[in-house]
Amino acid sequence: MGTKLTLKSSSMNYKKLLFSVIMLLVGILMIVPFIIMISSSFKTQAMVFESPFTTIIPETITWENYSSIFKDEYYFGWYFNSLRVVVLTIVLRGIFVTMAAYAFAKIEFRLKNVLFMVFISTMMITPDTTIVSRFLFYKNIGLTDSYWALVLPAAFDVYFIFMLRQFMMGIPKELSEAAVLDGCGHFRIYSKIIMPLIKPPLVTMVLFTFIWSWNDYANPYVFINTIKSQTLTVGLTTFQGLGGANYALQMAGATLAVIPTVVLFSFLQKYFVEGIASTGVKG
Amino acid sequence: MSKIKKPSSEELSAILFLAPIFIGFFIFILIPILFTVVLSFVDYNKVGPLNMDFVGLKNYINVFSDEQAMNGYLQSLYFSIIYVPVMLILSLLLAILINKSFYFRTATRTLIFMPYVSNVTAVAMVWSLIFDPLNGPINQLLELMGVSNPPLWFGGVNTSLISVIIVNVWINLAFQTIVFLAALQGVSKDLYESASIDGAGTWRKFISITVPSISPITFFLVITTLIGSFQNYAIVKLLTNGGPGTSSRVISLNIYEEAFTFNRYSFASAQAMLLFLVILIITLIQWKWQKKWAQN
Repeated sequence: MGTKLTLKSSSMNYKKLLFSVIMLLVGILMIVPFIIMISSSFKTQAMVFESPFTTIIPETITWENYSSIFKDEYYFGWYFNSLRVVVLTIVLRGIFVTMAAYAFAKIEFRLKNVLFMVFISTMMITPDTTIVSRFLFYKNIGLTDSYWALVLPAAFDVYFIFMLRQFMMGIPKELSEAAVLDGCGHFRIYSKIIMPLIKPPLVTMVLFTFIWSWNDYANPYVFINTIKSQTLTVGLTTFQGLGGANYALQMAGATLAVIPTVVLFSFLQKYFVEGIASTGVKG
Repeated sequence: MSKIKKPSSEELSAILFLAPIFIGFFIFILIPILFTVVLSFVDYNKVGPLNMDFVGLKNYINVFSDEQAMNGYLQSLYFSIIYVPVMLILSLLLAILINKSFYFRTATRTLIFMPYVSNVTAVAMVWSLIFDPLNGPINQLLELMGVSNPPLWFGGVNTSLISVIIVNVWINLAFQTIVFLAALQGVSKDLYESASIDGAGTWRKFISITVPSISPITFFLVITTLIGSFQNYAIVKLLTNGGPGTSSRVISLNIYEEAFTFNRYSFASAQAMLLFLVILIITLIQWKWQKKWAQN
């Protein structure tokens, strides 16, 4: 019986290993475009279409595309603009959204539920619906062509108010009530008790904000009209026309553009997956 | 009626905590919504100072006789009809696979997520290379396999929309998969065990345990994926710009083009309002349908 058991478990392990290999292949299949992206960025344009599958690692590595990018008049300016928008959005969102979520979760006031419903109901209105009016309105108040046109509207995000409120409601009342008895005001409860407890959803928010903001195309495309002030996502598109579709150069620009979010995601994967699993469902 | 009560100290704190978000909500959410409605009823259809002449339903009526706009709604409809089921089936399948135990799970999950977190322009550029009709890797492969007339992908009238859908599924697959995965992990293991004792096979268990257990989340995903499928401006703009001809000119692209290329702001707003109404109606019908279904 003992041998039978080991036999069975070793065949189970074998099966599991086989399945693991298949799953890893599925994963690799998903990143084939990135492999092509990186590989092509080290090739010359003439080499890009030469047996793309057999020469993943080019025989002669070309740094020319990257040196062109480093010499480009705008590329790193766009990179900086994107980073600035991302960082400012994260900071302001972190302040305003957590404050609002706290008020909706932990403070009693009249019309609370009505106000909350009004907030939430605007989530149904997709950004494309209001893009025209936002453009005209921002133009009239002198907000266009400034990175604030991308930062300020993003700082007041209803989706994350909803998400963080849900988390804060789950924090036991006893914790804050004890603090009230000790004479703590709401500001101290918010900053000293609640904020440290909501770290996981906060990291999720920071991560999602980074990714969405870094990858946003429509808003900068509409609100920013000088090439120098553009973000990387929109600026990068100008490479498409350069030198009659120079794919090799494009891929170098693309590779550098992908790095920040991919690196961040790789480190904070856990928060990302948990964030989607818990809030994606509720949202 | 009694006088309005003075705010308590609790309410004063609430006012302080909510002041920034109220100001922001008013300026950046409420005003744009109201202004969109106003715009769609006035005649601001060329460059120049804001023209607030009320024209009633004229913009809306014009949408229905505008070939370009109607084609946009139609292309968006095609897009959603293909995108939503393909997306949901693939993500459920992937979630079922990931839910099994296997080695290098975290590594595999990281790989699957790469498309979702990556820059949309970078992604569009590499897919243009991959699907290059002349000598892109896909068509080279097809030619090797003996296909004499490989598709033009983004460059073909019949293939442009479907090619954009392929890329869009690839980008967003991980998100839906993770939501399905969370749902699958929430299904009680006891149910499966007692079904196994009753002699139910894998398929039987899937149909009578898994499907009903995850149906609330499936429903949630149908709605969010459907709504998301109408918001495809960036990827369509970057991959095909609506072409060739108008073969992939979905309504969101049409709205942006009307507004920011032709400066027909009111006309574009009317199209956006109609799109919003379509989404609203679909959502409401689905809610009703789901309620009925849940009761049975």
